[in-house]
Amino acid sequence: MKVFLAALLFAAVAAVGVSMILNTIQEPSSVAFATSGARVGDPGNNLIGPNG
Amino acid sequence: MPVSSSTLKALLPWTFCTALALLLVLAHPAAAQLSFKPTAEAVQEDKLLNALKEGDKITGRISIPDAMAASLIQPAGRDWRDFHRRKLPVIGGVAILGMLALLTIFLMVRGRVRVHQGFSGTSILRFASFERFTHWLTASCFVVLALSGLNISFGRILILPLFGPEAFATMSAYAKLAHDYLAFPFMMGLVIMFLIWVKDNVPRKLDLEWLKQGGGILFEGKHPPARRFNAGQKGIFWIVIVFGTLMSVSGWFLLFPYLPANVTVLQVWTVIHAVIAMLFIAAMLAHIYIGSIGMEGAFDAMGTGEVDLNWAKEHHSLWVEEEQAKGHAGSTPRPVAAE
Repeated sequence: MKVFLAALLFAAVAAVGVSMILNTIQEPSSVAFATSGARVGDPGNNLIGPNG
Repeated sequence: MPVSSSTLKALLPWTFCTALALLLVLAHPAAAQLSFKPTAEAVQEDKLLNALKEGDKITGRISIPDAMAASLIQPAGRDWRDFHRRKLPVIGGVAILGMLALLTIFLMVRGRVRVHQGFSGTSILRFASFERFTHWLTASCFVVLALSGLNISFGRILILPLFGPEAFATMSAYAKLAHDYLAFPFMMGLVIMFLIWVKDNVPRKLDLEWLKQGGGILFEGKHPPARRFNAGQKGIFWIVIVFGTLMSVSGWFLLFPYLPANVTVLQVWTVIHAVIAMLFIAAMLAHIYIGSIGMEGAFDAMGTGEVDLNWAKEHHSLWVEEEQAKGHAGSTPRPVAAE
């Protein structure tokens, strides 16, 4: 049972860790797929969400 | 030919009208085009799509750094959509429901595979802690990946009518997040599993004999010799490795959709991901069945790590001999489960 719970915990921690790493190294779509001339200002309040 | 003055008078209004019309047409070319009724004669979408051949695309020019956005119309996308809406549910239904039906019939006809000699009360270590950790890491991720993946394919048909749109959308959003991020510990478990168990899963001649004798499962009281993993377990191992690798590679392209060369390649990977997923889930149902209700004493191997010595002798006789030769086997008293 301890091994099973340890595996579940590790899976959860690894998943959260990967999400944090990816969110750090990846650009939001509002930046990655727009030229600097077309970027919206203040994305959190402008049509798309803060992580859009 | 002489023309009478009355004839000239009759033609005068017509000549005037014709000259006026010609003047209007020359002055406003657009007015002339209107006579072709563009809304009726223009290319219709259906005709346009039907005229495009396999692999054709209508593309445009874009200035944003997203090359795929330049594909405006890709007729192959209709086949892809048709696959996901019509063919995939059939493949999934046949694979998963078919496997469940087979296992149910097998349980009804064959019953549980019992320990023929009865429990000995002595146990032998089958899997060390790290092996069980790796198994449960991969297995727990697989269960979440499978359920959240099935929700993508079947949720709209099966769950949406039960939960309603708001609850279904919220659940699907969290399921998608779990699917995306638990894929990474799943891939990690897959790699570790391969490294620690591949040496015991190389196919050998002995496996053919095991298969010929029905693996000691089809026929009551007959137990062909096997080393640490028998042919059935080796089959499951290689299914996990091959299918798991295909799911990982295709899933990687779905996670990072700008890695494939174009939309068509991405669509091919989604089809591979979906079909392998259905087959993978069906195969794992058989694995779960034989590791739990299908075979008495089998769950202990991954539960506590220790199995009854008689169980081990019946299903892995050569492995028990090897372990006993090393002095590892049959030293731990084990409580016999009440039946």
